[in-house]
Amino acid sequence: MIPPEPLRLPFATLPSGNLDLAGEFQAVLQGWGLSPGLAHALWLPLPMLLVLAAAVVGVLASVWMERKVSAAVQQRIGPEYAGPLGILQPLADGLKLLVKEDVIPARADSLLFTLGPVLVLAPVILSWLIVPFGQNLLISNVGVGIFLWIALSSIQPIGLLMSGYSSNNKYALLGGLRAAAQSISYEVPLALAVLAVVMLSNSLSTVEIVQQQNSAGLLSWNIWRQPVGFLVFWICVIAECERAPFDLPEAEEELVAGYQTEYAGMKFALFYLGSYINLVLSGLLVAVLYLGGWGFPLPVEWLASVLHQPLSSPLVQVVTASVGIVTTVLKAFLLVFFAILLRWTTPRVRIDQLLDFGWKFLLPIALVNLLLTAALKLVFPTIFGG
Amino acid sequence: MFGFLKQVGDYSREAAAAARGITQGLAVTFDHMRRRPVTVQYPYEKLIPSERYRGRIHFEFDKCIACEVCVRVCPINLPVVDWVMNKETRKKQLKNYSIDFGVCIFCGNCVEYCPTNCLSMTEEYELAAFDRHSLNFDNVALGRLPT
Repeated sequence: MIPPEPLRLPFATLPSGNLDLAGEFQAVLQGWGLSPGLAHALWLPLPMLLVLAAAVVGVLASVWMERKVSAAVQQRIGPEYAGPLGILQPLADGLKLLVKEDVIPARADSLLFTLGPVLVLAPVILSWLIVPFGQNLLISNVGVGIFLWIALSSIQPIGLLMSGYSSNNKYALLGGLRAAAQSISYEVPLALAVLAVVMLSNSLSTVEIVQQQNSAGLLSWNIWRQPVGFLVFWICVIAECERAPFDLPEAEEELVAGYQTEYAGMKFALFYLGSYINLVLSGLLVAVLYLGGWGFPLPVEWLASVLHQPLSSPLVQVVTASVGIVTTVLKAFLLVFFAILLRWTTPRVRIDQLLDFGWKFLLPIALVNLLLTAALKLVFPTIFGG
Repeated sequence: MFGFLKQVGDYSREAAAAARGITQGLAVTFDHMRRRPVTVQYPYEKLIPSERYRGRIHFEFDKCIACEVCVRVCPINLPVVDWVMNKETRKKQLKNYSIDFGVCIFCGNCVEYCPTNCLSMTEEYELAAFDRHSLNFDNVALGRLPT
């Protein structure tokens, strides 16, 4: 595939254009006598693998954090023998699941049973496509950006329903139905909250959403302009991740493990991986949409001018990029931590309460928020992105 | 019209109360994180048993007068007191004494009623064994110092 004319390459130029990883890499390959298309094709898998590795490491870290934080909240110790402070525990868990027997129940629909977990995991991983860690540190700056994520996340309930139905188990079926109902009802306020943000930044692209938040550091983040939207989005995202207090698709007291009941070994691991990748992704997206993405609380340009460093110098470029990555990850993990804390604070809601909350509370509030944002955008175009 | 407004007001008040409740809950769980774990990691750490803990029974052979009070107060007459009458001294002479800890319920009656205090409670509680017969302690085993 030949890239279009204004090269929007992954890991391409930073603002003033000294650090161009993609360009340099392809120049080297072309220097060896490869065609530009081939050089581009050789470059493409690198950022993908990098982001995939980052996602997996993020999952391991968040699983470890979940176990440690939940232990601390309950005044336990948590994992401590696998590596220092039990940091290798998620790895050990994964290894155990990897070598475990893969059981397909006797009268299950084996095709759907196998396809289910894949359909749950694949869209979540694909959504990492649009997560920016810096100006150009993302796999692809798709124009429809955040909309792509919303579209992809509605594939997930199909997978959940599939695995729930094909397990030939009443608990799994109930869990699958609940998961589908929950995902579909919370997608609506979620999309409305995103729409309000999109209205502010006049763009669906995640990079531009972050850029318009970074004019004045902390003060220009979207959370100040969209406090209600932030809360609605956060609640919906937790519901989409099926985490407590909205974890009733896998409510262990009533449904054993919901749609995961019949799964073991690697297929179960896919669900597990999917739920945590989704959690980290949600944290990242909340950071991108409302907390200024890679933006440092103090504007980097201002800091550079205070330190009398020209923005274009390579050192500043590298430092800015790394600060961006670190801030994004920090913000995301702060939110993940908050989600974990929430899990051990709130009791699980009933299914009728869940649907009431989604349709009768979040949806009207998200709608009012959207209309209010639109009105404010017309009245104060300078502040609300005219 | 005003009924509707009242409904809206009540609803938002409820929502605010719920939000306050969740915030308080979060403060509680957050506060718990800085507390020390209450876990005792058993094989490596052990709690000191409380005063008057009723563990394995210790027996001093020389103090025993073979009166069999311990047998009488025991709910299941568990202690086995093996004695013979010494004709010259006209006193009971103890030959063997044993308690089966696989059956004992550690009620402590024998210790309480022993007239010569030859029975006493220790703080030893790790009595697990692979063979239940090895839990039948004779006077030598009962006389060992608690570990």
